[in-house]
Amino acid sequence: MNCRKHSWFKYICIAALAFAPLVLTACHRKASADDNTLRIAFAGDNTTLVSLDPFQVYWIEHRVVLRNVVESLTDQNPDTGEIIPWLAKTWQISPDGLQYIFTLRDDVTFSDGEKFNAQAVKIAFDSDEAETVKNPGVFGATYLSGYAHADVIDDQHVRIVLSRPNAAFLQATSTTNLAILAPASYALTAQQRSRGAIVGTGPFILQSYVPAVGLTLIKRKGYAWPSKAVTNPGEAHIDKILVSYVPEQYVRDGAFVQGSIDIVWPRLPFSDTESGLLKSHGATIYSRSLPGPAYNLFPNTSAGRLLADPAVRLALQKSIDRPGYAATIYDAQFPVVESVLDRTTPYFKSEKQNLAYDPHGAAQLLDAAGWKLGQDGYRYKNGRALALEEVAQAQSPGDELLQDQLRKVGIALKITVVVPGTYVSDIIHGNYDLIGSYLTRGDPAVLQSFLDPRFALQAKLALDAYDPADLAEAEQLFDAGLITTDTNKRAAAYGQLQDLLIKEGVAFPIYERIWQVAVAKNVQGFTWTDEGFASFNDIEIKR
Amino acid sequence: MTGYILSRLGQAFLVLWGAFTVTYLILYLLPGDPLSIMLGASGIQPGSLSPQQLDVLRAQYGLDQGVVAHYFSLLGGYLQGDFGRSLADNDPIRQLLFARAAPSLELAGSAVVLSVLAGCGFAYAVSLVTWRPLRQALTRLPALGLSTPVFWTGLLLIQIFAFDLGWFPATGNDGIQSLILPAVTLAIPSGATFAQVLLRSFGDVWREPFIVTALAKGLSRGQVQARHVLRNALLPVFTLIGLQIGNLVFEAVLVETVFARVGVGRLAQEAVLRQDMPVVLAIVTLAAAIFVVINLIVDLLYPVFDPRITRTPRVT
Repeated sequence: MNCRKHSWFKYICIAALAFAPLVLTACHRKASADDNTLRIAFAGDNTTLVSLDPFQVYWIEHRVVLRNVVESLTDQNPDTGEIIPWLAKTWQISPDGLQYIFTLRDDVTFSDGEKFNAQAVKIAFDSDEAETVKNPGVFGATYLSGYAHADVIDDQHVRIVLSRPNAAFLQATSTTNLAILAPASYALTAQQRSRGAIVGTGPFILQSYVPAVGLTLIKRKGYAWPSKAVTNPGEAHIDKILVSYVPEQYVRDGAFVQGSIDIVWPRLPFSDTESGLLKSHGATIYSRSLPGPAYNLFPNTSAGRLLADPAVRLALQKSIDRPGYAATIYDAQFPVVESVLDRTTPYFKSEKQNLAYDPHGAAQLLDAAGWKLGQDGYRYKNGRALALEEVAQAQSPGDELLQDQLRKVGIALKITVVVPGTYVSDIIHGNYDLIGSYLTRGDPAVLQSFLDPRFALQAKLALDAYDPADLAEAEQLFDAGLITTDTNKRAAAYGQLQDLLIKEGVAFPIYERIWQVAVAKNVQGFTWTDEGFASFNDIEIKR
Repeated sequence: MTGYILSRLGQAFLVLWGAFTVTYLILYLLPGDPLSIMLGASGIQPGSLSPQQLDVLRAQYGLDQGVVAHYFSLLGGYLQGDFGRSLADNDPIRQLLFARAAPSLELAGSAVVLSVLAGCGFAYAVSLVTWRPLRQALTRLPALGLSTPVFWTGLLLIQIFAFDLGWFPATGNDGIQSLILPAVTLAIPSGATFAQVLLRSFGDVWREPFIVTALAKGLSRGQVQARHVLRNALLPVFTLIGLQIGNLVFEAVLVETVFARVGVGRLAQEAVLRQDMPVVLAIVTLAAAIFVVINLIVDLLYPVFDPRITRTPRVT
């Protein structure tokens, strides 16, 4: 009997040992967020390019965070798109557009104590330029296009010299991509900066970054130099910001409803039901059209592909019911896309006439081009089906609606969902007919990052999007848009460019890229920056 | 005994080597240019590079060596505990796995403990029930637990215990509070399996002649179950624990995503999506290693739990 008691004792001991890890982790439990902490949930981190280095970052969620950590020479007025002073008080541009002289504020310091001055600006630009040499495909390269060198005139004055005109340069100086980091940050490797070794002048300090998990920002004491776009002239109202990445929409929204998240910030706009749920729990929904391109599909016009035929491209342009798309996928108030660019982009030109839904016109074009309707409702020519392949990273209800819209004129749309790695190699090998892509920037020059083969991140995608006959004209217009800072001339160049891209079927706009956030009712002062990011400096939490 | 252990260790290494080799072949020899996949994964646009730059990168990734040489250099690295570097962030993979392994081990470890305790406890209690209809109904219950998808269970648990009752956080890696819901979610299918097997095995043992003897000696039903049935019925469960470890790895991918936890499961998912081949290779090999080690331990423990299974040297 004694022996049996021992064996039970043994089992209890084993069970206790097994539970030891649980008990131990309990001891590690961190204190819960205090009252003056803002908690934000984004959908996800960038798993393809793991980086917080401002110059490299295209991931818009990161740029939201960076906007509050690092600052730029100028800012952009979110209402007008006008460039306004920030770290630079004033600037002069030489008539030939090749020299920019910035007069800097003299009361600014980096969060490591270093003084912000002309030397720091020079180091920042030179380091960014060096990065473009090492890594030509880096996202910041087009922002810095034409940069030759920077001269320190005195502590408060810096001259930036371009080797060729870049009219988008002034806007570029307002972006996170050309933010000025402390000289100490540039002494580190790009890899270290990518992992969060970033020192800026902003109202928050990046305390920690764990890829795919989240990051922590803390208030910068003594901050006092926001741009005019921000209301609060001094230190931030909140002490701390916790950003987490929550991939499951249901869990994100649930956490908001429960009150453990203050701001829900997914990549895609809320559906009707989702925004209804959030609003019923006191959320205010803020929306902004992201400046830069709308969501477009780009064709593969290389020889042998169906979209090499201009008639098919034009028919495709006419077969897309854009008002129907906006109303069905989002809601009746959702803006209908009207150009290659979203309406918040400077020099946006409405192409409404050229983007009208015209299924009869499309059918006539296809008939004339020899694509006859078959028994199954799809079109055929010499036994070949008019079936387009769209390569996407996820299948969305929008893709299915598009499939249905195209079916009505006899075009079959096949959607192939691939993982990001395959997506890239499909572009390189041209294994697609249509492919979607976008980037965000408050200047139409951003189109060059994916539609100008000379600068594009995916040069092959850009090259294949054009009929060879149109490429030269497009490149000319891209250059014309950058050669002068005269707004009328820029408007003319980008207007013609938008005409060309739509009429020749280089881009097929699908929907306006709206970014939405749901903000809890005790969080006040949420405002958009021009590029669709946010300034957390103005946010107050009333608990 | 030493010979037996040595031969089992040898087998374990063979299985590991096989897993490594097959994964390598699948990852590196499938159609598609490994270099462009690798460049894509590390965020470099191949279109922007000159042939000279491409050659440098090819050498950096070891792709200039030819398949066989590359395979052996990787294998050599693995034998020395060097898994190479991730393509996406250029971090040593060992460091990546180390950072992600702790939360995953917490999760998987507590899930295993929970599933064994709950599964066996449930089966034990059910087999003590003497009213037949109730016992029949309860016996069917584990099938339900087994056939419910884990992501659905996860969302349901989050809704009830996080959002409605507010007892536990819905997401995160923040201590034991945040571990409970995912561990329960992960434990349900395994626990159900254990319960099913144990119930079946209880049924078999209860029909053995020595049970009749025990009852005839005057022991109560409970005493017989505790002293005679349990020990004899437990053996298949031990085998299953080893096998369930394999399931845990892929279910962790779902659970970690639903509960926004970091861990090896999420790492695997990220690595597969961005085609980060060295990381995928390392995770598959690691999963195989854990599987092999646990099963080895289970095998070696058999004689402890059932003295009838002993290894004696063959008489020659």
